[in-house]
Amino acid sequence: MAEMWISMGPQHPMTHGLWTLRVKVDGETVIDTEPDLGYIHRAVEKIAELRDFTKFTTYCDRLCYASANTWSHAYIYAVENLLEVEVPERAEYIRLVAVEIQRIASHLMWLGAYCPDVGNLTAFVWCLREREMMLDLLQELGGSRLHYNFPRVGGVKRDLPIGFAQRCRTKINLFLNRIQEYEALLDESTVFLVRTQGVGYAKPEEMVNHGVTGPNVRAGGINYDVRWAHPYSVYDEVDWEPSVEKPSIKGADCYDRYRVRVEEMQQSGRMVLDALDKMPGGADTHHQHGDEAILAKAPLRAPEGTSGFHHFEDSRGESMFYIVGGGEQRGKFPYRNSIRSPMFITIPYASKCMIGYKVADIPAIMGSFDPCIGETDR
Amino acid sequence: MAEGDWLDIRGWVEALSFAVADNTVGMSRFWRQKGTTADILTELIMAVVVFGLIMTTMLVLLWIERKFFARIMDRRGATMAMRSLWVGEGGEHVDWYGLLPFGTGAPFRWLNRWLNKVAGSDHAVESVARVHDRSYHGVWWMLPGFFQNIADAVKFLTKEWMVPTKADKFVFEVAPFIIISSTIMLFAFIPLGPHVWSANPDLSLLFLMAIFGIAPLGVFFAGWSSNNKYTLIGGIRSAAQLTAYEIPLLVTVLAVAVLSGSMNIIEIVEFQMVMDGWNLFLLPLGAALFLITMIAEVERIPFDMPEAEAELVEGWWTEYGGLRWGLLFMAEYLRAYAACLLFAIFFLGGWEPFGGNLVAQYTAFIPGIAWLLIKSWLMFAVFVWVRASLHRVRTDQILEFGWRWLLPLSLVNLGIAVWLRLWVWQGEVWSPLVPGIITAIAVALFVLLAIDEDPESLGGRERPYSVHVKAGPAGPGTHKK
Repeated sequence: MAEMWISMGPQHPMTHGLWTLRVKVDGETVIDTEPDLGYIHRAVEKIAELRDFTKFTTYCDRLCYASANTWSHAYIYAVENLLEVEVPERAEYIRLVAVEIQRIASHLMWLGAYCPDVGNLTAFVWCLREREMMLDLLQELGGSRLHYNFPRVGGVKRDLPIGFAQRCRTKINLFLNRIQEYEALLDESTVFLVRTQGVGYAKPEEMVNHGVTGPNVRAGGINYDVRWAHPYSVYDEVDWEPSVEKPSIKGADCYDRYRVRVEEMQQSGRMVLDALDKMPGGADTHHQHGDEAILAKAPLRAPEGTSGFHHFEDSRGESMFYIVGGGEQRGKFPYRNSIRSPMFITIPYASKCMIGYKVADIPAIMGSFDPCIGETDR
Repeated sequence: MAEGDWLDIRGWVEALSFAVADNTVGMSRFWRQKGTTADILTELIMAVVVFGLIMTTMLVLLWIERKFFARIMDRRGATMAMRSLWVGEGGEHVDWYGLLPFGTGAPFRWLNRWLNKVAGSDHAVESVARVHDRSYHGVWWMLPGFFQNIADAVKFLTKEWMVPTKADKFVFEVAPFIIISSTIMLFAFIPLGPHVWSANPDLSLLFLMAIFGIAPLGVFFAGWSSNNKYTLIGGIRSAAQLTAYEIPLLVTVLAVAVLSGSMNIIEIVEFQMVMDGWNLFLLPLGAALFLITMIAEVERIPFDMPEAEAELVEGWWTEYGGLRWGLLFMAEYLRAYAACLLFAIFFLGGWEPFGGNLVAQYTAFIPGIAWLLIKSWLMFAVFVWVRASLHRVRTDQILEFGWRWLLPLSLVNLGIAVWLRLWVWQGEVWSPLVPGIITAIAVALFVLLAIDEDPESLGGRERPYSVHVKAGPAGPGTHKK
């Protein structure tokens, strides 16, 4: 067959968002790819310069609809670094619970989206069923289902609701048991293995050179988890360990990237259970602590020349916020807010990973990198 | 039991058409053509009867696809369609019967309370009620969702018909006709019962398999004529896949014909009934091969490469819309239905009751067509089960599997059939030992293959399935090397 370019996207089941992958194929073999991003650029960084610090949190929620809490928390940590706010420890624990539940929900969304990519709809519905439990928990915390606006500068919006800890333990334990069902459906299925193993090799050193982070690079055997390498919240106090795969000599394939996320979900579940146990003041008590236990006072203005930075282990990699204080001229507004999106770096690399494989492998490889276009285009 | 079946539709139709021909043509000066007229009338009526039976019973297939799949997937919407009406989400419901005058809504309230009690998932804690939703799957005996198919058909009828610009309009229009007409023609040769069939030539098996091979041509036409790269790839994949799986399928069917000593489908069924042994127990390997190749032929998961929606959007269907899409979709299910019916006919004893001669005298009041349809629906449930548990196999893996495994295995199966027919079969009823031993060997092999999996080595082994081709980035002139 002759070579031809196929334009996959912006409306295509493979893209998981709004972008275009131009693929050059020779028959069924992919010989070149070109990602084309920027369809939903919303100028979020410019919007940040026109709002004061508290009003930008909602925009951070909208950076990635599948993982809203992690993005708003990343931003809040950067603002607290800028304004030099001390956060109460109970608030840190509540934040950790919220972020890790969000991470489980995000990875479930990924697994649910990945299985139809390789042709199975059952796992999709099972994953969304479990994600529903996580969204229920987050709804109790933040009040809405997808965009929570939960963290505040200096703490969190509100304390744990009545009975939250008990429901959270029930659901997390139920979820941890149900992971076995996924393994029965996926790991023990030869068809899933032949679709994911030996497909989409990503070499660890290449990933590091490109700046790929998060589960994708941990699937390549590189133990870089910001929560572990530079513990920021109370991650050094709860019981967990980063999930790292041992890849083959050729690099990490789609199966490694699947395994690392499943193990990370288990670690997050463990972390939530442990944080509920270790929470200062107890997780089962409610509103006996006063607002000062969950929310510290924070200034509204940042002096000129100051800058805040935080790097955060997002569900998809290392997200960074760099905020420069506005000073007298800008008032309550920041001078600059720069966002580093992990997927903006990963998607071009993933597009190059699929050269040499079949057309049928394109969704299997692209999906395994967990693309999220909201944060990519910002 | 062909003679014991009281549902002698063909006999009734013959009597009717002879009576009609007698009183019309027989009274005229063309009275010599009386017999021919009656035959033609019989064939026409039987064709309509079989077509109607197939089209109405096909709704069950769609219902199984919807409901059984939803149950496996644990999907809330499809499994709880009736529940939201009567029981309500978490016990809450629209209290419409409370608005009825003079307390006439009370029976509805009692019914609802009772349904809540026996089938609801009420719990004081909302999350626990939600977890309980898992075990509750609607009021199944009300057949919720059965008439969704009619709504779908109405929707297809109202859609606009568009031909893409620069598509080859003639071929684009003709392709669905090739696919649909050849698919419907299949059912002319599939007997639904000893007396319910449309045509019965001596070589009906040969006719059937020949017609089964026409649709891939239409698929290829459709993919090529749409002027779309996705449909082109889908059409080519379809051609490659159907060619690769047609040959093992034919060899497997040939083994059945050899064992039964006939190329006539009705005689194949009667051989199984008279000789007291279903082919499933005599040719278990053949049954497995037939199942796999048929799933590939009707393009269902795990072999639905030609319409892989993840990468090819909808494969060769992409540019079709409206009623033609609906009819293509129907043709797809008709092919699956034909596959299920053929499996039941070739391997499950056709219209013989479960239990064979032992129970036949007690179940004589059930017509043979009921047994055949039940068996084919069960087979379709197996198709749905396979679809729900497996993933989609890649193109090269499908072809490799077909050529490397299925073709040699089907030849082995043919050898087994020849051996059974020539050396084991003594011209009388099978001794119970023969199917017993063969089935025991097959089950033992299956168990051995199933437990021979070491989960430890599964994770750490060298990845054996890599198909990476060394291909550098393309540039001007790179394809000429």
